[in-house]
Amino acid sequence: MKKFVFVLLALLLLVPTVSIFAQDTLTMGSWRADDVEKMNALFDVYKEASGVQIDFQPTNPPDYNATLRLQLESGTGPDLMYVRSYATGADLYKSGYLAKINDLPGLADSLTEQNLAPWTIDGDTFAVPVIAVTHAVYYNKDIFAANNIEIPTTFEEFLAACETLKAAGVTPLANGVAEEWDILETFFLGMLPNYIGGAEERVLYESGEKKLNDEAFVKAYTDMAKVAPYLPTGFEAVTYNDSQILFATGKAAMFMDGSWTLGTYGDVDFEWGTFAMPAPAGSETAITFHLDAAIGMNAASAHPEEAKAFLAWLCTQEGVDALAKYLPVGMYPISKLEVTLEDAHAQEMLSLTNEKLTDVRFVWPALMDLYSPMNQAVISVLKGTDPQAAADTVEVAFEALKK
Amino acid sequence: MKKSSSLKMANKHIPSHIILGLWSILVLFPIWVMVVNSFKTRFTIYSNPFGLPEKWNFKNYISVFSDSDFMRYFMNSIVVVMISLICVLLLGSLVAYAMSIWRTRASTVLYFFIIAGMMLPIRIASIKLIEIMKSLGLLNTIWSLVPIYIAMGFPISVFIMTTFIRTVPGELTESAFIDGAGRFKIFYAIIVPLLRPAIATVAIYNLVPFWNDLWFPLIMITDEKSKTLLLGVTRLFGQYQTDWSKVLAVLTLSALPVIILYLTMSKNFIRGLTAGAIKG
Amino acid sequence: MANTNSRRIRGDSSLNPTWHYWMLYLLPGVIIYIVFMAYPLLDSIRLSFFTGTGAERTFTGLSNYVKLFTDEVISTRFWTAFGHTWIFFAIHMLVQNVLGIIFAVILTNRTMQGSRIYQTIIFLPVTLSILVTGYLWKLLLSPVWTGDILNSIGLGALSKPWLGQESTALIVVSLVSCWQWVGMPTMMFFAALQGISEELIEAAALEGTSTWDLFRYIQFPLIKPVVGVVAILTFVNNFNAFDVVFSMEGANGAPNYATDIIGTFFYRVGIAGQHPVAIPDAGLGAAVATVIFLMLAAFVIPTLIQSQKEG
Repeated sequence: MKKFVFVLLALLLLVPTVSIFAQDTLTMGSWRADDVEKMNALFDVYKEASGVQIDFQPTNPPDYNATLRLQLESGTGPDLMYVRSYATGADLYKSGYLAKINDLPGLADSLTEQNLAPWTIDGDTFAVPVIAVTHAVYYNKDIFAANNIEIPTTFEEFLAACETLKAAGVTPLANGVAEEWDILETFFLGMLPNYIGGAEERVLYESGEKKLNDEAFVKAYTDMAKVAPYLPTGFEAVTYNDSQILFATGKAAMFMDGSWTLGTYGDVDFEWGTFAMPAPAGSETAITFHLDAAIGMNAASAHPEEAKAFLAWLCTQEGVDALAKYLPVGMYPISKLEVTLEDAHAQEMLSLTNEKLTDVRFVWPALMDLYSPMNQAVISVLKGTDPQAAADTVEVAFEALKK
Repeated sequence: MKKSSSLKMANKHIPSHIILGLWSILVLFPIWVMVVNSFKTRFTIYSNPFGLPEKWNFKNYISVFSDSDFMRYFMNSIVVVMISLICVLLLGSLVAYAMSIWRTRASTVLYFFIIAGMMLPIRIASIKLIEIMKSLGLLNTIWSLVPIYIAMGFPISVFIMTTFIRTVPGELTESAFIDGAGRFKIFYAIIVPLLRPAIATVAIYNLVPFWNDLWFPLIMITDEKSKTLLLGVTRLFGQYQTDWSKVLAVLTLSALPVIILYLTMSKNFIRGLTAGAIKG
Repeated sequence: MANTNSRRIRGDSSLNPTWHYWMLYLLPGVIIYIVFMAYPLLDSIRLSFFTGTGAERTFTGLSNYVKLFTDEVISTRFWTAFGHTWIFFAIHMLVQNVLGIIFAVILTNRTMQGSRIYQTIIFLPVTLSILVTGYLWKLLLSPVWTGDILNSIGLGALSKPWLGQESTALIVVSLVSCWQWVGMPTMMFFAALQGISEELIEAAALEGTSTWDLFRYIQFPLIKPVVGVVAILTFVNNFNAFDVVFSMEGANGAPNYATDIIGTFFYRVGIAGQHPVAIPDAGLGAAVATVIFLMLAAFVIPTLIQSQKEG
């Protein structure tokens, strides 16, 4: 026992009891735990330019919102932080945790009003948009060539390609539903603009002028259901990570996913590319281009000047270049300044949006409360529920909300 | 015991061995899977999930050590858990002893007041706790965790020890008292040894949640230097999420210290459980 | 100082020390408990009568409680989670605690060889972090990972999306939790069984008493107080359980809320908010915690008072 106490005391001496923060260090909160290395490289560039050190302190995505909120409420939040688009960010601003940055130098030169919209409420802008993502179908070029499949241009051709692959013993699609969010966000909301159109149509649904169980929506659920036979066996328990592995190991030929995983397939031993999920014959193919993340500053920061200077830097050509270079592959910088991407796959995926109608994910701007009902509707049609009935549940949920 | 009867007894144990053997496989198999796959690569864990790796890959472990300050996290966790545990055991047994002798209405109320702490999720008090730690200047240090863990472990400690101490026959303690020993002497010379099984139970009961707690480090500590093991390695899950073999290396490394600690302590633990047992 | 000291000694050697004396034993623990647990908890419960966050908090009386029980979506989720928690608890009682007793009885047998090794193995999962357990079992139960192997050895029927089917997910998650925690009751029962004198067991063995009768008439009655303690701890722990579901099925209790228990429901409502908006309602969360606390207290306190009277 004595020896034990002695060891314990020895250990105690090795542990620093007080943490010392350097004066010119800013902290940044983020949910992008994957990006530590890249973000540190970006901050090195900034340190060279300004002399200010930024300490990247990411939290894993499921914990980010909860911990950030607690830290802000207790006055211990980071100086700079990733801010989610629309309601989540706006709520932090309304609670007084984020500084208003309308007068940030360079803001108007670098970003359009649409760019800023997800982080603006009642004319107040509270964060600098930095990351946009898009959704498309990743495909294995080798498997496509071996089975003589061309890139489909209509949804019907897409299903035919799936059938050919299945007959050849390949799992056509890698997507699963175990984690729930991915099937809705990347797959269903990724293809939804093909059925209902872009922002102009979206607002009609938001105002209630169009119903969430109208013909277009039911068609979207119906086509979603047609995909079910081509998902992996046991897709009910296939997680997002499983899906990536299925695609990366060549066990599945396609994977409908977001651009943020483009960097994951750097070391696979086959050729691959991306194509936009095609619309049914007779409709124009549209694509989601989602404004995902912005960086805002803590209203109670002890270093407001330094934090603001960093945000202003993000709006300069130098800042945008650094973002383009160091943001993870597939996270596109948001700016009307010149954006040069190095990665060929990232360029290809971004070019899919050229001359196509684009919109953010359907529920984000105004219908966030319908996220869960729509998520369950999508999963239920894959498990065999009638598409009309599934669409009705979402409309019912919407009606209940309006009360 | 006669030889024949012991043989008969041994035969009887076959069903027992089957039950425990099957359970042992069920316990060891996942752990085996975790360890062997941490030595494979991102894709080979899918082609060969259960067997030994064809080519041993140590890169996963190297990246864990190079991507994190593993040893510091480990030390922080040891210090936090050990100090919290010692305090919980000491404070808990003092209260349990007092509760067993001082039996009035007031003590009953106090007892239930303490027990009530087991029944509320302490997460709910997170904001208040951050504020308290901030005002004490403990935020971002490992010392912010110690009082919380003591308070968390205290109700269960009191509950288990009080239940146990009340089964100790009064004559045992009162006779020593009449012999002239002071109350406090009775406490450390008679009660504490008697309490050993309860102390061992409480120690293990709290060791695991303290060691494995992620929530309070997550909200209290952002400074790299003060991170606990689980908080430190959890970030790696995010970083490695697309590579299961690396995740398994992280898991193995975070599990090993407790397993080793347990294996070295298990003899003492089991002795503790059985030593003070009162023959009924 | 001298005065207090002499009183301490007087109390120390007195047959019936006054409550002042016992305070020396009680205060250190109780003060820490009050400052770092009771006060923050009570302060948070106060929030259940408020809505809003931070500075915008306004007193709204019982409206959070009314909302919890009358709002269609919230009350449905609450009662579903409540029901699931009882199933979760029942599985723990039936599997974890019954296995615990069986293991403990087997291990107590002195002629049983390898007892020490078995004890170590049974307890091993308790030491694992839920992160480890959750990740491992998710991997092992994934058809993507183990499907091919199971098919090739003719056990393809075992390769089902156990965690993805609404009918099986809750049971499987509960069993994984039992797998992890069974060492705890085993050890507690084992310790209790040590208290039974060897002569008693040997005498019974000589009379040819069957193992079952030995257990029923001798062992079980003597470990009954421990059974009570274990049952109460299981009950309380299950109503506060969260990690196992969170790590295996996410905060929503996928699929389609089939594994949503009180712990995850409370986390979504009061701590993290619903994905992806993630705006928690601290007031409603406090109301959930308060309701659960009252329910737990209503079960546990009478049980304890009963056992105190018996003891």
